[in-house]
Amino acid sequence: MKILEDRLLIRRFKAGDSVAIQRIYEKYRCDLLKLAVVIINDHNSAEDVVHDVFVNFAKSIGRIQPRGNLKGYLATSVVNQIRNLRRNAARRPTSELKDNDCVVSGLPRPEQWAILSEQLKLLSRAMAQLPDEQREVVALRMEGNMAFKKIAEIQAVSANTIKGRYRYGIDRLRSILNGKV
Amino acid sequence: MRPAENIKRIFKNASVGTNPKADDEILKKLIQTHRQAANEKHVRSELNTWRIIMQSKITKLATAAVIAIAAVLGITFLGQSVPAAYALEQTIQANHSVRFLHIKEFVPDQDEPKEFWVQCDEFGNITNARMHFPEWSSPEDGAKVTLWQNDKVQVYFKRKNIHFIANEQKVAQMMLGLILQADPRFAVEQLRELEAKGEMKISIETPTDKAEPTVITATHTQRPQKLILFVDQATKLVTVLETYGQTKQGYELISTQEYYDYNIPIDEKIFTFEGELPEDVVKIDQTTQEVGLVQGNMTDEEIAVEVARQFFEALIAEDYAKAGQLLEGTPADYMKKIFGPMKFLRVISVGPVEPHPNPATRGVVVPVTVEFEKEGQLIEHTFEQLGVRQVYNQPGRWTIFGGI
Repeated sequence: MKILEDRLLIRRFKAGDSVAIQRIYEKYRCDLLKLAVVIINDHNSAEDVVHDVFVNFAKSIGRIQPRGNLKGYLATSVVNQIRNLRRNAARRPTSELKDNDCVVSGLPRPEQWAILSEQLKLLSRAMAQLPDEQREVVALRMEGNMAFKKIAEIQAVSANTIKGRYRYGIDRLRSILNGKV
Repeated sequence: MRPAENIKRIFKNASVGTNPKADDEILKKLIQTHRQAANEKHVRSELNTWRIIMQSKITKLATAAVIAIAAVLGITFLGQSVPAAYALEQTIQANHSVRFLHIKEFVPDQDEPKEFWVQCDEFGNITNARMHFPEWSSPEDGAKVTLWQNDKVQVYFKRKNIHFIANEQKVAQMMLGLILQADPRFAVEQLRELEAKGEMKISIETPTDKAEPTVITATHTQRPQKLILFVDQATKLVTVLETYGQTKQGYELISTQEYYDYNIPIDEKIFTFEGELPEDVVKIDQTTQEVGLVQGNMTDEEIAVEVARQFFEALIAEDYAKAGQLLEGTPADYMKKIFGPMKFLRVISVGPVEPHPNPATRGVVVPVTVEFEKEGQLIEHTFEQLGVRQVYNQPGRWTIFGGI
């Protein structure tokens, strides 16, 4: 029924119904923020990523199809946006950081959007100690509820490789979090 | 607990909230962006239609003539239809303009159909619905009439003379799902998607006699199912949808959906029970009261047992208000009418909890054995199929829903 509901929402979204975009935003904003936070471990960057995902989604009226998994589509967009952010950060020298950027990860901006629980902050710090690919796999599996096959498509590797990354990621996460939660 | 399950629990408990002010600002921007994109898409699709028309040598001359006439009459050319071979796309386009629909669903060996009346807004969302379910379609509940509007569902159970009201998205969505199954727009869009994926083989026959319908036969390549749609040649709207299942003998008809009165406004009264229900109807309104028992820290099995036990203990104490609260919020006077003739004496056993034979109920079965006195006789009776589940749209609260 969730899929049916999402298909209805996409149909209405494509027809130009503003209520549909509002419902989609309300339904998925927290999930996407959480996903971004656990992958990127930077409060402000996570907000920027999710904000951009929703804006791009709002523009995608002509492209998006009413089939498939809306949450999966948005979660994939978050991952892609994070990769873009990393690529851009790698190209950009640190002296280009603007004055109003928060340099220290996690320092909140005055108009903060996401309100993180202590458990989420803890989880995010633990996840930051995983290699990027493992972190992505664990986050997409746990938070995005994605099948290994789908994650394999996103990371462009085999499903077996994804399962391996997941297993190692979970084991490492468990030992990091052991006793802290 | 396996490491992954432990981590799952950690993920589940790690929550995030949002600043409402920030939400409002972001939403405003999204709505504006969306509207802009919607306008651009409209302009683009008009331009594409223009390009397709102008690329055809056959239509160029005709087009020139039409433009000239249109200019004189002040008609927007791109709003005019262009003769073309039938394609599924046309029915989808036609369906987007449907505002009112009346549907009957027949099954073999039953005279009385299920019947639906549907009202939609300009975006194709269902805003009002009325559904008639005959006795054969719902043996446990009996014949019933359901109304749906804005996530509020009202059901009149004819046999029990009960008017039930609840706010429940899942029930409402289930109703919506039933309507969508009968909605030719949805059927046609699904066909289009399946055809594009290669899961459906579609053949189209268009008779030369315009009074005859176009017949679309859609055969599923991966499931034993076939659909036949009859499409009015003038309106491009589906008038009949037949569903077939495959058996050893070949394809057998499962159901026939007939669509009537496209866009003939439906009297608003049809979407209410105004003046329709008997005066002595029993009204159970879950939107105005707290129903059932709070689960708190109890497991699902524990709360189900507790609800069942407290229900019968309330009957023993002749506390019909409490018993009614635990039975979907049934009024106390009705509870007294039903259970008053029995003097409940004691609860002999409760449980064990079993899965409900009908998973669609989302409940469990809690067998309860009680002793009661009726007409001077002591009776020991087991309610084998006492059903317990979460209350619609009141999360964390459980109620008895059947088997009593």
